[in-house]
Amino acid sequence: MKHNLLTTTTIAMLLASSAYAQEAIKIGVLTPLSGTYAGIGQQVRWGIDQSVEEINAAGGIAGRQIELVYEDSEANPAVAVTKAEKLFTVDNVDFLTGTVNSGATLAVGQVADRADKLIATTVSFSDAITGSGCSPNVFRVNARAGQQSEALAAWLKQEKPGAEVYYLGPDYEMGRSTVAAFKERAESVGATSTGEVFAPLDSKDYSQYFGQLRAARPDVLYTSVAGNDTVRLFTQMNDFGVSEGLTILGASGTVTAQNINAIGAAAEGFITGVGYSVLIDSPENKAFTEAFRERNGADPDLYGADSYGLLFAYKAAVEAAGATDTDSVRAALEGLSWETPQGTKTIRAGDHQAMQPMYVVEVKNGQFTIVRSIAGEDAIGPDTCDKF
Amino acid sequence: MPDLISYLQFVLAPQMLNGLALGVSVILVALGLTIIFGLLDVINMSHGEFYAVGAFGALALSALGFNYWVLIALVPILMIPIGVLTERFLIRRVYDGGDRHVSTLLLTFGLGMIAEDLLKIVFGPNTHRPENPLPGATEVLGVFIPTYRLFLIAIGAVVIVAVALVVYRTRLGAMVRAAAFDRNMAASLGVRVGWVYSGAFAFGVALAGLAGVLLAPIYSVFPTMGHDFILMAFTVVIVGGMGSIWGAVIAGVLLTQIQAISSLVISPVWADPIVFGVMVLVLMFRPQGIFGRIGHA
Repeated sequence: MKHNLLTTTTIAMLLASSAYAQEAIKIGVLTPLSGTYAGIGQQVRWGIDQSVEEINAAGGIAGRQIELVYEDSEANPAVAVTKAEKLFTVDNVDFLTGTVNSGATLAVGQVADRADKLIATTVSFSDAITGSGCSPNVFRVNARAGQQSEALAAWLKQEKPGAEVYYLGPDYEMGRSTVAAFKERAESVGATSTGEVFAPLDSKDYSQYFGQLRAARPDVLYTSVAGNDTVRLFTQMNDFGVSEGLTILGASGTVTAQNINAIGAAAEGFITGVGYSVLIDSPENKAFTEAFRERNGADPDLYGADSYGLLFAYKAAVEAAGATDTDSVRAALEGLSWETPQGTKTIRAGDHQAMQPMYVVEVKNGQFTIVRSIAGEDAIGPDTCDKF
Repeated sequence: MPDLISYLQFVLAPQMLNGLALGVSVILVALGLTIIFGLLDVINMSHGEFYAVGAFGALALSALGFNYWVLIALVPILMIPIGVLTERFLIRRVYDGGDRHVSTLLLTFGLGMIAEDLLKIVFGPNTHRPENPLPGATEVLGVFIPTYRLFLIAIGAVVIVAVALVVYRTRLGAMVRAAAFDRNMAASLGVRVGWVYSGAFAFGVALAGLAGVLLAPIYSVFPTMGHDFILMAFTVVIVGGMGSIWGAVIAGVLLTQIQAISSLVISPVWADPIVFGVMVLVLMFRPQGIFGRIGHA
């Protein structure tokens, strides 16, 4: 009888522990499903869903399936914070990703610090996220503004030496930091700055800035507006003839697959530095883009590709650590190298920023064309994080 | 001195002309809002979504091969049955039950959210833009301004005058104003008040649709576009006097000029607070707005 009880207890414990092993790993995806960045959120969702389908079909992470929990951040940091609290405390997710605007990523990073959970952004550009505002619980697998600026500055130095540059950014964290980063890089390669203006996010009409822009007589305009704001800025510049004789450079999120059709001819000649392009000529990228098109009926952009790549890093880290607790996964992610559609990425342990090769691309006939590529080590810039 | 002239010509004048085009856009959206408020005493929170429906309607119909100029007439006509049905089957049901302002505000707010999500389901979250039917720029007094914006200012002026004539100078307009002033008296004099209400609501909705068609080539088309002008349009309606057409016109031009000129000298982010500050001042010192309500002159 005693023997029997022992057996039953052992079986019960085994069952419980195997049930525990089978339990899904919950990953929260907090991304704008509505609002001006809904198009970006759509790419994030496609990329993550696709990677989860592939990982789950191949047996999951260490035998555990991934379960995604979506929440709409409405591209609003205040909403994002509330939803992040909910994901951490009510849904009890193991890991969180999807934040798009940098303000939301920084705010959600603080929530993650308090909850002692890890988050990763696949979209936000602001240097602060892995720089002055870095956190031991926050990772970034996409290229930051500094990496894009390095790539663009290299192009500027070669193609437009001594250029006179004007800057136009959206008036929030990402806009100001991208402009500051590019300005610093451009001036270091000999460009002159002729002025800058910051327009509110979601501006209807950019024509009110054209007077100042014209008066400054620049030959290069750098902008970091994104989403629908780009559609309005570029088409209005075209309507007003402001873009004539002006070379327009921008952040990699400025013109994407989401808005290039709506911008139409006004996007022609736009140049940017990106961490991803569908044109990257590698077998991994070909396989990824074909599967993406098949599944989602659209081309991936950098957001889709970076979001797709993220969970493979998480899988590698959890399997190397043999656990999903915050400390083990953090240690395993630091210094991790893994394969993505855009090549090998490596997470720098000092600031949790991924290093990757960068590309300078130009819009020709409504399509992005790669004009130059820059090695990951040359575009990463110094580690300025001093929090851990 | 030459500096001053070139500042006037290259900076201030284009800024004021752009402000005028923006003002006409805001007035087009505000007209329908002010008519619906002035007559039905309904704060139509779904007005922005009717504006979006008009723009998406134009987008869908132009994909079917309709000419843009035809759409300017066709879309508002198609909006009329939508407006009539909304008034008959939704607004009217809550119209007399309890606090009219609160119940209709909640109803139209919910309706707006549903409409926005329907647009998102049908057309997807991405931005679309119909081709500009009048590309290029025209020189006016040494200032280059996109031809389509000149057209917008012109057609906006025509629409405003036409609406004012209908409301203030026709028998139909007199019936509408009578129904707004005293519903029971108008009914006892043989005015079919029910149809006047449906008609006025549909008229407001059709104007929102027209604004959607006219503004689509400039401001692009996407499901949440309804939020774009609605705040400014409400401000214009409040400052101008709820239900007053001339009030909306004057407030629309005034506020957008304040916005345009102030954003030259201060950070554009502060232009909005200045506009809303003007609204607060008006509410403090002249709560009925610059002009009074329709039928309450």
